[in-house]
Amino acid sequence: MSAYEGIGRRTFLARMGVLGAVAASGGLLAGGRGTASAAGLHLPGLVDLLRPVLAELSRDTINGLVVMVCPGPDDYSAAQGTPRPEPGALEAGATDFMLGALDNFVPFPDQLATPLAAALSTAVDDIGIQLPPSLLGPLLDSIGTLDQALAVLLRSDTALPLSIAVALLLNVVATQVNPLAVNGAFLSPFARLTLEEKCRAFELLEGPDADLVALLDARLTEPLRSSVSGLLQFIGGALLEFSVFGAYNESAVFDPQTKTLTARPVGWQLAGYQPDGVVDGWDDFIGYYEGRTEVDA
Amino acid sequence: MRDVIVIGAGGGGPVVAKELAAQGLDVLMLEAGPRHADPASEWTHYENDANNPLTGFLRFGPSDRSAPAWYRETPQNSFVWQLSGVGGTTQHYFGNCPRAYPGVFSGYDGPDRDAYDTAHVFPFTYDELRPYYEWVETTLPVQTSAMGTKEQTFFRGCEGIGLPVQTTKTTTRDSFRPQENAILQPGGWAGKVSGRDDPRLRYPESTGCTFCGYCFQGCTKPHGAPRNLAAKRSTDNSYVPMALTADVWASGGKPVTLLADAYVTEIHTEKRAGELVATGVTWRTGATGETNREDARVVVLAGGCTENPRLWLNSGLPNPNDWVGRGYTDHFFDWVIGLFDERTESSKGAASAARADFPGHGSMENVGLPPGLQQFAAVFSDSGIRGHYDNGRGATGPWDGAAGRMIGAELKDALMNGVDRLLNILVITDDDVEAQNRVTLSALPADEHGPVPKVRFAQRRRSARTLRNREYVSARAAETLRAAGARTVIRIDWPPLLLHVQSSMRMGTSEADSVLDANGEARWVKQLFIADNSALANSLGGPNPTLTTQALATRTAEKIFSMYFGGQGWVHAESPVPSTDTRISERLGELGL
Repeated sequence: MSAYEGIGRRTFLARMGVLGAVAASGGLLAGGRGTASAAGLHLPGLVDLLRPVLAELSRDTINGLVVMVCPGPDDYSAAQGTPRPEPGALEAGATDFMLGALDNFVPFPDQLATPLAAALSTAVDDIGIQLPPSLLGPLLDSIGTLDQALAVLLRSDTALPLSIAVALLLNVVATQVNPLAVNGAFLSPFARLTLEEKCRAFELLEGPDADLVALLDARLTEPLRSSVSGLLQFIGGALLEFSVFGAYNESAVFDPQTKTLTARPVGWQLAGYQPDGVVDGWDDFIGYYEGRTEVDA
Repeated sequence: MRDVIVIGAGGGGPVVAKELAAQGLDVLMLEAGPRHADPASEWTHYENDANNPLTGFLRFGPSDRSAPAWYRETPQNSFVWQLSGVGGTTQHYFGNCPRAYPGVFSGYDGPDRDAYDTAHVFPFTYDELRPYYEWVETTLPVQTSAMGTKEQTFFRGCEGIGLPVQTTKTTTRDSFRPQENAILQPGGWAGKVSGRDDPRLRYPESTGCTFCGYCFQGCTKPHGAPRNLAAKRSTDNSYVPMALTADVWASGGKPVTLLADAYVTEIHTEKRAGELVATGVTWRTGATGETNREDARVVVLAGGCTENPRLWLNSGLPNPNDWVGRGYTDHFFDWVIGLFDERTESSKGAASAARADFPGHGSMENVGLPPGLQQFAAVFSDSGIRGHYDNGRGATGPWDGAAGRMIGAELKDALMNGVDRLLNILVITDDDVEAQNRVTLSALPADEHGPVPKVRFAQRRRSARTLRNREYVSARAAETLRAAGARTVIRIDWPPLLLHVQSSMRMGTSEADSVLDANGEARWVKQLFIADNSALANSLGGPNPTLTTQALATRTAEKIFSMYFGGQGWVHAESPVPSTDTRISERLGELGL
């Protein structure tokens, strides 16, 4: 790779949060094997090492997502500028709800996953991001290998976890909204944004003429072209809609074996919903409007 | 060789099955999803366990809940809320049974005759369908809804904006009323006692609706009632029990054979005397992966508005005018939330027991939901995020601020005001049949049942009349909430939420833009009928579709019987047996159902 491409790839890896997550993983590339460079690591080994790093990155990103719809007393809510004293999405287990849904149940055909991932991993645009010192230096030599390893994961024949694709997508858009988000607390650039910035990220995602949509579409041919942009618009809505359902329903405290609850759901606490739990009936039958129990044809 | 094979045990299929079983025909009904034969033990009243579209027991997927749901491509922000399983979407419906407005039928000559989708009317008159409405209304049965606090609140708002009350089943003017619904009126202790495991809330101390508030999670109340006496008359509680017991309540009746977990993958045809004729079907059994084929004299397609076009196209059936899957209507819903200081008891009682009608524009109804779904409804928007961005929309009007989804503190505070201190109004638009809103086959990978459907709605390019109607009813909804005393009124601007689905395989007056003739038979395949919402000619003007589908399916059953089995119609000559008949309860008990 040329020097210019190397810088471009590095920027993009940073924007997706991958570079930061790798740096934070404590030596995946530079330390663990007693070598200063991943260039000496075999690619398959690096892929295996990268997988759990991406899973952590994904969890961190989704934490930043679910507090948008139900902020609470956690660090992610504080970081977006909306701390709340009462329980929120993290206490309600919304992150696990989202990860479980995205990775186990949302069908994500390879025909969409592969071009989406390819577009993500090759889309290099230069918006003048200055990489922080922590992402410079010792990792420079590894960029090519790291990039290849990510490409292998994203293009793998084994199903790509949708949560990782979603996390990378949110992080890329996050750094488009705020380039400074490549560095800071958390692993995920998206989680570092203010609520207003997160909203702007969603504006880019679900807008009908969003640049990213156009970028992705441009890399595909019919009949899949509108399928990917359409999927992105679908995801733009569904991420918030599914997060909110997870944050306020009973899923985190439901025991599927006994079909009972182990605690009162956060959403029920917040809503004041059925204070004594499930009922067989309520005493809210007032009567019939104007006393009419049947009408004429 | 069966007399009739019915594909799909949802809102429409069981009606044809029950009616023809009563005439003694040999009917096989195939349902792709689970049977749910013992809901009291299989189901819960928890919204995620029930309604999660990926994993819930009321999802669109195979019987095995550990297997993924069935994927449908929706290349836009939208949600197609399909259900598999015996009962189909009536399992989660609210039981509302308004009749279609007379203006959507041929021959209507009222002063507002130009206010409807006049290019796509039904190919017969309202009076033609009236006896079939009455037949279904007695069978389910349909009754005037009981009133709870949230209905009282809704009525106060309707009175406040000057609407008159409607006291007939036929709607002729702007008006409000308790729903006519397929929910048994409360009897005994029902609606008078709160609690759990209270013996007074068990059948028969309680009968009908106990006001439990779980309509959307499937109805099993009152606890201990025979299946055919459950309060909500979803087809799994009404028509299916009748179909399975036709020998005990109909003279000469023959029980229907019901197979669940049986996904029909092909309709077979052959040329006979120059005409294409349906001859039978092939289905795949989910648990084993085996395929079976059976022949029948008549095939009835009732898999729903999204699945029917898919099965049609996957079967290679003709589509000469290219209207298979087109003209899909969805009532282009919207959602308006009012926040109150006083209690509304929104999460209690039948979920949607009050409505207002605006012939020529649409209708609206109140809806109560549990917390997760309540918040989902407040976030499902095509207008971006209120106060942040509007996604090119964000309409303003008699609601507070711009339309759009709530987020962050505003969203949380709205619920913390109390799920029982709010009132939702569902805006039900009289939307036009448009060729652009359609089902095609997806280019994404096929599943074990063949290429999957792709549902495309151009929500931003709908007809001027559709868009105008939606604004009209949304404004009435906001005004109603204000008049009822709402402190804050929020309009969400939903993207397409396909819950009321109609007309994707429509019958019509013109061969150029319809799939079915006036008998409900496919124009290009004889002995193939369609008997679910997809057969409807249009969106009915705004009334909820199930009753009209069931009336039409009853009429279609008569057509099938007279055209292919040498019989005569019965609706004009006989009286219907209500689905609550004790002979049905007793037989269900004998069958262990």
